[in-house]
Amino acid sequence: MRALIVDDERLARAELARLLAAHPDIEIAGESRNGEEALEQIARLDPDLVFLDIQMPGMTGFDLLERLEDVPQVIFTTAYNQYALRAFEVNALDYLLKPIAPARLAQALSRVRPRPRGARLEQVFVRDGDRCWIVRVPDIFLLESEGNYTRLYFANEHPLIRRSLNALEAQLDPALFFRAGRKEILNLKWIEKVNLAVSGGLTVILRGGRTVEMSRRQSARLREVLSL
Amino acid sequence: MKSRYAYWLCQVLGWGSYALIGALFVTQHAPAARVAIGYGLYFLYSIALTHWLRGYVRRHGWLEKPDRLHHLPAYLAAWAVGFVQAGLVIAVDSLLSRGHSELWQPDVVGGAVFGISMVPLGWMAVYDAVTSGRRAKERELALRDAELRALELQINPHFLFNSLNSIRGLVIENPPLAQDLITRLANILRYNLHRDAGHTVPLDSELEAAADYLALESARYEERLRVHFAVAPETRAMAIPPMLVQTLVENAIKHGIAPLAEGGELHVGSAVEDGSLVLRVQNSGSLAPADAARAPLGLNNIRERLRILYGSRATLDLANREGRVTATVRIPQKI
Repeated sequence: MRALIVDDERLARAELARLLAAHPDIEIAGESRNGEEALEQIARLDPDLVFLDIQMPGMTGFDLLERLEDVPQVIFTTAYNQYALRAFEVNALDYLLKPIAPARLAQALSRVRPRPRGARLEQVFVRDGDRCWIVRVPDIFLLESEGNYTRLYFANEHPLIRRSLNALEAQLDPALFFRAGRKEILNLKWIEKVNLAVSGGLTVILRGGRTVEMSRRQSARLREVLSL
Repeated sequence: MKSRYAYWLCQVLGWGSYALIGALFVTQHAPAARVAIGYGLYFLYSIALTHWLRGYVRRHGWLEKPDRLHHLPAYLAAWAVGFVQAGLVIAVDSLLSRGHSELWQPDVVGGAVFGISMVPLGWMAVYDAVTSGRRAKERELALRDAELRALELQINPHFLFNSLNSIRGLVIENPPLAQDLITRLANILRYNLHRDAGHTVPLDSELEAAADYLALESARYEERLRVHFAVAPETRAMAIPPMLVQTLVENAIKHGIAPLAEGGELHVGSAVEDGSLVLRVQNSGSLAPADAARAPLGLNNIRERLRILYGSRATLDLANREGRVTATVRIPQKI
């Protein structure tokens, strides 16, 4: 698997590279000194995994993630303590506290999987004030258009992402996500119940209780998709 | 010792003048010897009784709470002492007048006892006012001390762990530098953990600690951090609050140099200007508009400490000019 190391400190990068030498299955595809370099290298090298420092000049690790369309697997490396990090509520693959313990690195690497290469969106990064999330796309049960932004519903959260619903739809797996109307896309895996509305359209109830009303035209399409 | 002396002086002067005025009032109604002995004894046992009362009240801590309502038992005890005094006054006067004391008349005795018994209440009120004032001052001093302690910044954990991470890397890459940095880190930890109880230190030891700190940060930032010292020799022995230089330097790196991809210059200088010690920490970069309005935590902390220690005589200014941010601290030196 190919990894990119992003850290503004040369010694920190060198130290992590030395630690990774014990893991022959991880190939260091490159090293970036800041967010700008990382953006370019992620686009060019397409790594499976990014080791990402949070505090960097110019662009923080979070700023960087926000600018990525599709987010690779991320392991944060930081001198923050885990409590400070938890405050960000980022469900990264893992985080490593500096100085990094070799056993902790091995544990973190055991969760890394080769990244499927395709046009589909795997993960997105969303920030809402002080909180941010790396969201696995299959965990999103509803996407709702709000102008040029889209509200993502997952777990108990529903932050806004700075992308339009149409832009997102182009990258979603059509076998999983269904356009329910002008403003909504729902995740078929998360449908709990489908009711027939008085209007003749369908009302979908998602796991967690959210209901989505559908037009007659879209209802007919949903019937097709679900009966398949 | 000083307050003990003041206490006895107040006792003697207070009871002395009270007895003297009382004696002068009655001197035309009774023989001089009877007045002199009666009031003389009154003066002596009043001091003895109220001194005992003071010890009793102190043992019970009746005046120690800030809430005045809790002082009530002390006043009741004082009143009780007042009745003892009244008894003594009447007994002594009866003896001196061979049973013809005017105080022992049925229509007088009630008022006399009541009047005499009130005097120690006045004594207690004065004593309470004096000790409460002193306690309030002590509380204020303790609070000030605690505030200063809280503000004397402890080592930043982020810095500590980043340093350890740099050292871990250097152990393989550059063992002599790794050794040097471990020593410097030990110095910093010792300076933080084992500082004297005082609220000021000589500038020299601050500069040493800052040099250790900067050596560690230089290992981390490498060529991105370029440090220059310009210290006026006559300032080295001058007193400043501990961790002040390090807080300024830390701040300059965190908000000034760390955000610059290409790094920057850091100047640390000291001078004497108009009888004040002037410290300047200057870094490349510029204040974000938001930073100008809302000074970083470290700088607010310094301002607060300067205010507690020097009032309005010491200042911290932050100036932003030509791509450089300068923090200037002025501390008055006692002449």
